Amino acid sequence: MATLLSEPGLETGPAETAATAAATTTTAAPRRTRKISRERVSAHDGFLTHASGRWAKVGGTLALLSLGLYLFAGVSAAHFGGSWLGYSLGTIGALLIVWLTMLGMRKRAITPGRWSLKAWTSAHVYLGLALLVVGTLHSGFNFAWNVHTLAWALMLLVIASGMFGVWAYAVLPRALSDNRFDAGGAITEKQMIEALRSLDRQLHEAAQPLAPDDAALVETSLDEDPFAGSLVARVSGSYPNCATRRAARQLREARAFRPRTAGDPLDKVDSLLARKEAMLGRMRRHLKLKAWLQLWLYVHVPMTFALLAALSAHIVSVFFYW
Amino acid sequence: MSFIVRQIALKASGEEIVRTARVEGDTLTIGRDAACEIHLPDLAVDPRHARVRSSGGNTLTIESIANQPFEVNGRSTVRRELNLAAGAELGFGGYRLTLARDDASGLPEITVRRIEAVSESAEDRDLGTAYTLKGLLPGKRVSAWGFALLVLLSCLAWPVWSYMQFDHAKTRPAQFHGDELWSPGKLSQAHQQLGRDCQACHTQAFVAVRDNACLTCHTQDAHQHIADRPGQTAAQRLTLARGAPAGMAKFQRAVADAFNRPAGRCTDCHTEHEGSGPMPATQQRFCTDCHAAMKERLKDTKLADAGDFGTSHPVLQASLVSGFDGTTPRFTRTALGPAAREEGGLKFTHAQHLSATNGVAQMVRRRVGNFKASGALGCGDCHVADPSGTRFEPVRMETACQSCHSLTFDQIGGTFRTLRHGEPAMVVADLRAFYRSTGPARPASLGGLARRVPGDAARQSDARDYARAVHFYPARADQAIAAVFSPSGACGDCHQITRGGPAASAGFAVQPVAQSSRYFTKGWFTHDRHRQTPCAECHVGVTRSNDAREVLIPGLDGAGGCRTCHVGEGGAHIARVDHPVASTCAMCHDFHAAGGAPWAARKAETRRAPLAGADRRRVPAPAPAPRVAER
Repeated sequence: MATLLSEPGLETGPAETAATAAATTTTAAPRRTRKISRERVSAHDGFLTHASGRWAKVGGTLALLSLGLYLFAGVSAAHFGGSWLGYSLGTIGALLIVWLTMLGMRKRAITPGRWSLKAWTSAHVYLGLALLVVGTLHSGFNFAWNVHTLAWALMLLVIASGMFGVWAYAVLPRALSDNRFDAGGAITEKQMIEALRSLDRQLHEAAQPLAPDDAALVETSLDEDPFAGSLVARVSGSYPNCATRRAARQLREARAFRPRTAGDPLDKVDSLLARKEAMLGRMRRHLKLKAWLQLWLYVHVPMTFALLAALSAHIVSVFFYW
Repeated sequence: MSFIVRQIALKASGEEIVRTARVEGDTLTIGRDAACEIHLPDLAVDPRHARVRSSGGNTLTIESIANQPFEVNGRSTVRRELNLAAGAELGFGGYRLTLARDDASGLPEITVRRIEAVSESAEDRDLGTAYTLKGLLPGKRVSAWGFALLVLLSCLAWPVWSYMQFDHAKTRPAQFHGDELWSPGKLSQAHQQLGRDCQACHTQAFVAVRDNACLTCHTQDAHQHIADRPGQTAAQRLTLARGAPAGMAKFQRAVADAFNRPAGRCTDCHTEHEGSGPMPATQQRFCTDCHAAMKERLKDTKLADAGDFGTSHPVLQASLVSGFDGTTPRFTRTALGPAAREEGGLKFTHAQHLSATNGVAQMVRRRVGNFKASGALGCGDCHVADPSGTRFEPVRMETACQSCHSLTFDQIGGTFRTLRHGEPAMVVADLRAFYRSTGPARPASLGGLARRVPGDAARQSDARDYARAVHFYPARADQAIAAVFSPSGACGDCHQITRGGPAASAGFAVQPVAQSSRYFTKGWFTHDRHRQTPCAECHVGVTRSNDAREVLIPGLDGAGGCRTCHVGEGGAHIARVDHPVASTCAMCHDFHAAGGAPWAARKAETRRAPLAGADRRRVPAPAPAPRVAER
């Protein structure tokens, strides 16, 4: 109802009809009734566009302010982080790093509202990007083989992995759900493995009449762990030694020179292997996408902790050798 | 003979279902084929895999049909005699067959049990983690703590340990120490030898570098900026001159105090770890913060306010000889300008001497090889730079003037006798002695060999004249002395002569002469750095001045002035400058006021001669140059 009332022209009372019109004999063309369209309004507003990019503006302002001060405050670049601007940027950067790290704690408590987790994530992303500018300007572009540059490099690594994460979260979920849809609708992860199990049972059943050599080939397919494969295989989605594919190929090669007979059990095995291969392919694409969605965190989180350690060493060292 | 075969299947609930069958006959086949007595639906099992034969009694023989191996008690084999009493465990693919004797009937009993799932995918797995990267990568928690610990140990614990190890040691061995990981940048050229020893300066943990660390080595060249005064220490005066910080400066001061970084330390200006080149010159603001408007805060200062060199430097003041107290010259700092005069006591005509057309030039042309140039006198013929090239040696009569202005008065054989320069009494004595010991030339007519006019009258006249001449000859010394000291005489040519001198110098007195060896005592000027510029470009008056009292030293502005080239630190200038040289205070002035070359100029010296090792030119802090008064 609220949306109706906010429609222009419909704010005041009920709409006019022929019965309620004051002048029914008007020569004026009848007013076209306003078509009320049902627009699908999605309540979803991603963390990147949260609150019309409020945090993008805050982060951008922070970065621009830092850059402006760096360029125009007239602090000698030779002073590293030791000028008033350097200390200010350093303090802001260190507080930002600590606060950004706290997303890890914050995300375990989902709350609505202004300080919702989404708002927090949005701020995490944009302030993290601003940190790139703040932290780099704090360095004054003086790099060497020391703890200070180590902290900067770790910060860069964390931010870069985070940027990759943002890209992954923005792009990959669609690919993930596209992959899960087929003619029969979407399938879940549980259904994926159930489908494989069912195919394996059918294969096992269908392969019973086979000769030992052929049966051994089918057996290799059955013995293959669908979740096996190194990290490289997961991330690249490439499984060059897939037993199912090899079994299917070798069976077809073997059959090529055999006479075709009606009711050959190999027919069924072959079609089952083809279906299993397709199912495996889909599952592996799923695994690959999920790996990409997760992999960056394996850099982001450990490097964040390394960064916190390097940051502590950096700060202590500055005061230690004051 | 028969066998009892028990097939055990599992319900979904895990409950076992046992189906017992009795197989008649002496043999029994095991295989995937449904026709086999023991049917094992497993693809790893041959359709007809093995045959079991009772050999009577307690023994069974099991052998492979197609030579395909199977397992007996965990060992792979194709044929085995089995003792029924001992029992056995057979393995075919995913099935396990247990052989025993049935207690009731005494027949061989084979229990068949599937122990492996049909396929790998059918294995139970935790779907919560199966689709994640768990197991493929070290856990995030583990690697997070691992990396953090690694960084803390290497970048925090190790440096702190290396500090504690040498906390009270005098020196550290020249090897890599953990705390070098903390070094934010290379030390400057001068401090390079300290490179490995952070604790040379950072003597105490969490205490900002104090002056005593610097003064350990800099025992000679760290001077007070100003001296103490009665009733006011230098520190008080400096604080007064600086004024109370306000605004941003006040805030910065408060923060620095809160973090135990007191003001006024050496390191306030002399910053380090900024690269391996020479230490950067102190920025102008370190001076102008106080000096730009010091008169307001320090009412009794004699110094004029000085800001940027290009725009707000006070008029240059040179230390000029203003007169003499007896024979001691009196120096007065005088603002340079057209009216400035120096009473050095000499007469000299720069323009006349440097002319390319007059008699002086003619003399130079005649005496080829005696002068640096062959057309006219040059500045360098009289003014010789001192060994450092900074200033000039005093012009000396003996080396500069005497080659033309000869003091020769007599010749004995090939030896010329000269009057003694600088000793008027000796000049008088020498001249008197000359006339006393010599006589007038004897007239030829008095000689015996001369042809004579007949009669004695002429000869007697000559003899009388000669006798008179001989008698009065010593008296001619007075004339000669008067001539020498007259304004156009040998002495009077260059010196101011007055009467009222002692009798020894025949009543003449030569005014004392002084040449200033350093005009700018509060600043630093070196001719060495200006070599590429001809003298007259700065000393512009030199070709016009015929009065030695005129001061030909260039001032700040005007033709030949410093600002012809030098502009402020940021390039600020008043008049147009063609080839500007940005000049900070440190170019000419030294905070530590040691009297020698300022630190920045010394640094320029070392930069000009960056020789390695033994060839390196040592640049010690020069001793304060004595103010030489030449007479």
